[in-house]
Amino acid sequence: MFKISLNIIACFKWVVDHEDIKVNPETNELVLDRAGYRISDYDRFAIEEAVALSEQYGGSTTAVTVGFPAAKKSLKDALARGPEKAIFINDPAFANLEPSQTAAILAQSINNQEFDLIICGEGSGDLYAQQVGPRLAEHLNIPCASFVRKITIEGRELIAERRVDEGIEIISMPLPALVTVLPEINSPRVPGLKDTLAASKKPVVEITGSDLEETVPCLETVEIKATTMERNCEKFDANEDDLKRFVEVLLRAGVID
Amino acid sequence: MAGVWVFAENYEHGLELLQIGRSLADKTGVELTAFACGDKEVGQQYIYYGAHQVFILPPLAEDQPLETYVPAIAEVARQEDPDIFLFAATLRGKEIAARVAARLNTGLCSECIELDIKDNKLEMKRVLYGGAALQTIICKTRPQMATIPVHTFTSVTDLDNTRQGIIKEFDPISSTPVKVRDRQPRAQESGDITRSRVLVCVGRGVEKEEDLKLARELAEILGGDLACTRPIAEELHWMPQETYIGLSGQTVKPELYIGLGISGQIQHTTGIRDSRIICTINKDEDAPIFKISDYGIVGDLYKVVPFLSQELARLKKK
Ligand SMILES: Cc1cc2nc3c(=O)[nH]c(=O)nc-3n(C[C@H](O)[C@H](O)[C@H](O)COP(=O)(O)OP(=O)(O)OC[C@H]3O[C@@H](n4cnc5c(N)ncnc54)[C@H](O)[C@@H]3O)c2cc1C
Repeated sequence: MFKISLNIIACFKWVVDHEDIKVNPETNELVLDRAGYRISDYDRFAIEEAVALSEQYGGSTTAVTVGFPAAKKSLKDALARGPEKAIFINDPAFANLEPSQTAAILAQSINNQEFDLIICGEGSGDLYAQQVGPRLAEHLNIPCASFVRKITIEGRELIAERRVDEGIEIISMPLPALVTVLPEINSPRVPGLKDTLAASKKPVVEITGSDLEETVPCLETVEIKATTMERNCEKFDANEDDLKRFVEVLLRAGVID
Repeated sequence: MAGVWVFAENYEHGLELLQIGRSLADKTGVELTAFACGDKEVGQQYIYYGAHQVFILPPLAEDQPLETYVPAIAEVARQEDPDIFLFAATLRGKEIAARVAARLNTGLCSECIELDIKDNKLEMKRVLYGGAALQTIICKTRPQMATIPVHTFTSVTDLDNTRQGIIKEFDPISSTPVKVRDRQPRAQESGDITRSRVLVCVGRGVEKEEDLKLARELAEILGGDLACTRPIAEELHWMPQETYIGLSGQTVKPELYIGLGISGQIQHTTGIRDSRIICTINKDEDAPIFKISDYGIVGDLYKVVPFLSQELARLKKK
């Protein structure tokens, strides 16, 4: 296959690990102070796809994240997954951005980079608003395809298989373009020790909030509460008596006839 | 005409948005406008169902994706400045809403599951952190935008075919660089689990594909359908994509949900929150799913399920 050489940008977010989220039982508020962070699961597929495409067609991958200073920890992990370099758009004010701001910040930072393709996860593991990709495409005025499960490149055209509600749509669009990818698109490689060692030698470009125009939120959070599911929590054993009792309970509840 | 606007890619979801759109329009004393994609007849129906105005978007050419409408939708919204703009959260609807919001420089509440008017502002709720939290937000910019998951609201019912409304037709739309090359409808119609009364849901506790028949048997006896967790559909491909429940899959509200061999990760259980009764079979008594179950059986599904099927079949015969 002939080489095309693609400059690919993979966007990723450093998100709170929800397994670590605790709830204050009195106020029902979330306790996040001690929670760990990780690269959003969905974005692992974006990074993998960028790296796999640049291996297949030639070229290189840049991993980009917008975050607060602690997100620096994410860079090594991201770079161990294969990208050649990273851009860290970093500011203490970037801790709780909403999608419109993240997209605007990414657009300003990416605008003067050379790129053929931007890949984002379909949504982030924390907010899962699924807006940053399409909004970013609008800011950069490039074509976009969301919920993509397969990408091929033909010359300067990108062919994508995307999910729509009735099935699959196969679209083509000229590069440069943006796609958001579904988890089914690939199986991200697990970085080994060698990858992790190599990652610390890769270049990181840092951009700070003062290099960029300020963004203002459009949304205002009124409150965030833990969701509760009040259920009976009655347990049965697997012995015959218990199972018969289980069936009776269902009958009484009127859910089976 | 400002007021409340709704956009859905198909008629059925349009009727759901008209229902919520009308209640918001009535509460704020404004008018309701609906978009119809390429079909004047659909627009006429929307008026009979309560829209004051419809915008008929022109039919698209075979190679034009639905997103071709984005510039036209954003432009008319910029001119007429609606207060509220709701989109059905189909996959394409979510992309279109995000792009329209970007063009209008406004906020968008994704997958809003509850909305109401408070102090003349739209107050919206959505889940965060894979379902662990509920966020309430307002949008300070105009229009206040939200995408609404399908089947969140029932459809409007009071059809009045003497209702009159304004019909505005759009000029043909010029193409964008994105072209549709092919469309592949879903291979098999797997039924719509969002409407099932009883769901038997399988997880990784089922060891082999052929063992799905145990679950299928139970589902049949209960007159229900089969659903699954994400790994069953996405990693193992044992069941179609549209039968997995959860954050990135379907949200269901059956009368009865029975989960077999499911650990109960939040990304799955957020999709079953509105079930009336949740039952679980898991051999690990500490599995998190027991905390959100009404009735949990601690045991091996390979022993429990055949027994339950047999017992239920026996009772049915009686
Ligand atoms: C961003 C993100 C989004 C996600 N979205 C979704 C989503 O929409 N839907 C979804 O389902 N998942 C989703 N997931 C995946 C989710 O986190 C879990 O990995 C998944 O739901 C686990 O599936 P499971 O319960 O089938 O398997 P497991 O977690 O492997 O659980 C299997 C269970 O079966 C039990 N078991 C084993 N053998 C038996 C037996 N013989 N009898 C009885 N019990 C047995 C075990 O005790 C165990 O509890 C998402 C994950 C992420 C990170």
